[in-house]
Amino acid sequence: MKRRAILAFMLDRPGVLNKVSMLIRKKMYNVDTLTVCSSRVPGISRMTITLREDDIAKVTQVIKQLEKFTEVISAKELDTNKSYWREAAIVKLEIDSDHLKSLQDRFNFEMLEKKNRDIQIIQVAGSTAQIDTFLDEIGRENIIEIARTGVAAMEK
Amino acid sequence: MTGKEKLLSALKTKGIKYIFGYTGGTIMPVFDEMDKMEDFEFIMSRHEQGATFMAQGLSRASLSTNNPQLGTCMATSGPGAMNLTTGVADAHMDSVPMLIITGQVATGVIATDAFQESDVVGVMMPICKQTYMPLNADDIEPTIHEAHYVATTGRGGPVLVDIPKDVQNDSVSPKYRFNVKGYRPVLPGYLYHPAPDREPLDRAIKLINKSVRPLIFCGHGVINSNAGALLQQFAEKVNIPIAFTMHGISALPTDHPLSLGMMGMHGTVEANKAVMEADLLIAFGMRFDDRVTGKLNEYAANADVIHVEIDPSEIDKNVATSVAVNADVVNTLRLLLDDPLLTYKPRRRWFKQIDEHRKVMKDELQAEIEEGVGDTGKLLMKTIVDKLSKVTKGKDLIVPDVGQHQMMAARFYNYQTENSWFGSGGAGTMGCSLPMAIGVKLARPKERVWSISGDGGFQMNMQELGTIMEHEIDVKILLFNNGYLGMVRQWQTLFFDGRYSGTPMQNPDYDHIAQAYGIPYIKVEKVKDIEPALKKAVAQKGAIMVEFDCDPSEVILPMIPSGGGFDDMIVTRPGKEKSALKKKKKGSKS
Ligand SMILES: Cc1ncc(C[n+]2csc(CCOP(=O)(O)OP(=O)(O)O)c2C)c(N)n1
Ligand SMILES: [Mg+2]
Repeated sequence: MKRRAILAFMLDRPGVLNKVSMLIRKKMYNVDTLTVCSSRVPGISRMTITLREDDIAKVTQVIKQLEKFTEVISAKELDTNKSYWREAAIVKLEIDSDHLKSLQDRFNFEMLEKKNRDIQIIQVAGSTAQIDTFLDEIGRENIIEIARTGVAAMEK
Repeated sequence: MTGKEKLLSALKTKGIKYIFGYTGGTIMPVFDEMDKMEDFEFIMSRHEQGATFMAQGLSRASLSTNNPQLGTCMATSGPGAMNLTTGVADAHMDSVPMLIITGQVATGVIATDAFQESDVVGVMMPICKQTYMPLNADDIEPTIHEAHYVATTGRGGPVLVDIPKDVQNDSVSPKYRFNVKGYRPVLPGYLYHPAPDREPLDRAIKLINKSVRPLIFCGHGVINSNAGALLQQFAEKVNIPIAFTMHGISALPTDHPLSLGMMGMHGTVEANKAVMEADLLIAFGMRFDDRVTGKLNEYAANADVIHVEIDPSEIDKNVATSVAVNADVVNTLRLLLDDPLLTYKPRRRWFKQIDEHRKVMKDELQAEIEEGVGDTGKLLMKTIVDKLSKVTKGKDLIVPDVGQHQMMAARFYNYQTENSWFGSGGAGTMGCSLPMAIGVKLARPKERVWSISGDGGFQMNMQELGTIMEHEIDVKILLFNNGYLGMVRQWQTLFFDGRYSGTPMQNPDYDHIAQAYGIPYIKVEKVKDIEPALKKAVAQKGAIMVEFDCDPSEVILPMIPSGGGFDDMIVTRPGKEKSALKKKKKGSKS
């Protein structure tokens, strides 16, 4: 199913996140990622939600019902081709240093800590697809622990 | 000044006089303060659910008067608040403005599972238009003003204010200021778009002028924006027939020549056939609920749809529109009425087609009404409603409960008074009628109010007879007793081979019940006694209860089965079908 990103701006009031997540549950979606941060304007939060849905009419319904919340100032879908979707991840992994080095020119990662000869903690940033490919290439079986931020998105 | 004083003075400023509710530990400070002031009339319901329906009745019935009042209820935390939920969810479904004030445990013990603590905001959030929990006394007054604004503007709905007990008692800070007159809510995200844009309106006018078989839909939004008379003028101006949603009933007279009556699951043949055959639907203030549309992929497949609706999230939700007008119905109608481009057409062929549909069940229904009794020899509900309509000339306020009797009241009363139909639609909450009728009567004391219940629903809130007794509320109570949960029985007859699981019930002696509350009581078992009993109820000063011995085998037809399309409409009684089959068999033997 097509992955969709919905960008919403809302008043930073208690319970708003609760409402948004209840709406998405009521509509029977599973949230893929959800990120909230403060926006440029004090008191207004910026939320990016990603979920999977092929039917555009259904996505429009979610957006309209989000906009119906008194606290939500605006909500819209971000066009995949006309926006940046970025994530960051922190990965603790057991990996051969040479193997890791060989990935350096293709992926944007940074060593945070080398715990011992085999175990290291790295930070990687990029599009969701890039991070997925990176994790595939280092080998998912080598990952000890991973923390991903979820999608932050912005129109071009 | 304390939080509780600020609360009550804000309610007073907002014109709230009636408070429906029930006290308890965490709301006691407010009750105590309320008693000291002489501005409120407190109506104690016998169950918190009763208070919510009384509040709904007040909100709905008063909105067409020159004193619209926001129905307000109050309850304590925990069980008190939880008992409100059904009526709140009901108000949310039916877009009824309502203010709910609940006491909450003190801030110091919140989230410790304190005595009678429940997460009221958490529970109410999905069934309210908005919820608030002021955490200091300074916030109470602005919160009430904002809550009132949100509940009563745009698409109405219930708004909760949950106030911890210590916040009620706290004093406002010395620097506290609130400018009542200058107050404007700051809600940048609140969608309230009452005036229509010109562009969709122009497109709508073109479609209307082009249409050969147009049909107007009159929804609850027409009543809510007091636009019944304007809709009638509009329909007359362009000569277009009107079908009603259940809550659109009474926006204009039922017997208006352009009226086709109610549409949907139990709608008239003419309304539903017209929907199927129309080339344009002009929908005012409605949400294309599944009880209206039936199977969506077959619904109005050949029609353009103009949808005038105050809530943008309803537009294109169930039915795709050709023209969306996001605005208040009344403003849209004003502009349409003034538009010189809109033209009148005789539409002879269209009306002839509709007149054919009007004939389908007409004679049969008329014969049933005149017969007055069904297969069991007991009274038919449709006859009682027909007689009520004649005795009251269709002018009274009707508050049905939920079930067959409700559909009979929707179909066979000839509504003449704008905004005279109340009850539960979207949620279909049994037990709403008796308490809602109390609120309706308080809003419109000079008009006659009839509560019509089935034996099932009546017993869900019959404790409110206590409220009627105590406050001497003049409500005429009609009990249609068929010994069954009739509407469910009807489904069992039609779709479950007549297996009556969980629908028969033993009833109490209602004479004794009425007597216990000091309410006069009449029982009617014969057709000839219906009219005299109704006339006696009219003449009675104060409440009266009339119980009718009704035929459990009566069905409300036509019926579009749940999930079915308009082609699946059932128009013949199941019993009759069987006897017709039997006759055939006999014939083939001989
Ligand atoms: C609170 C609630 N519970 C269950 C239902 C399901 N229901 C709808 S109509 C109905 C039967 C109503 O029976 P009664 O009040 O006797 O009215 P009648 O249909 O017999 O006129 C039931 C059980 C409901 N609508 N509301
Ligand atoms: Mg019954």
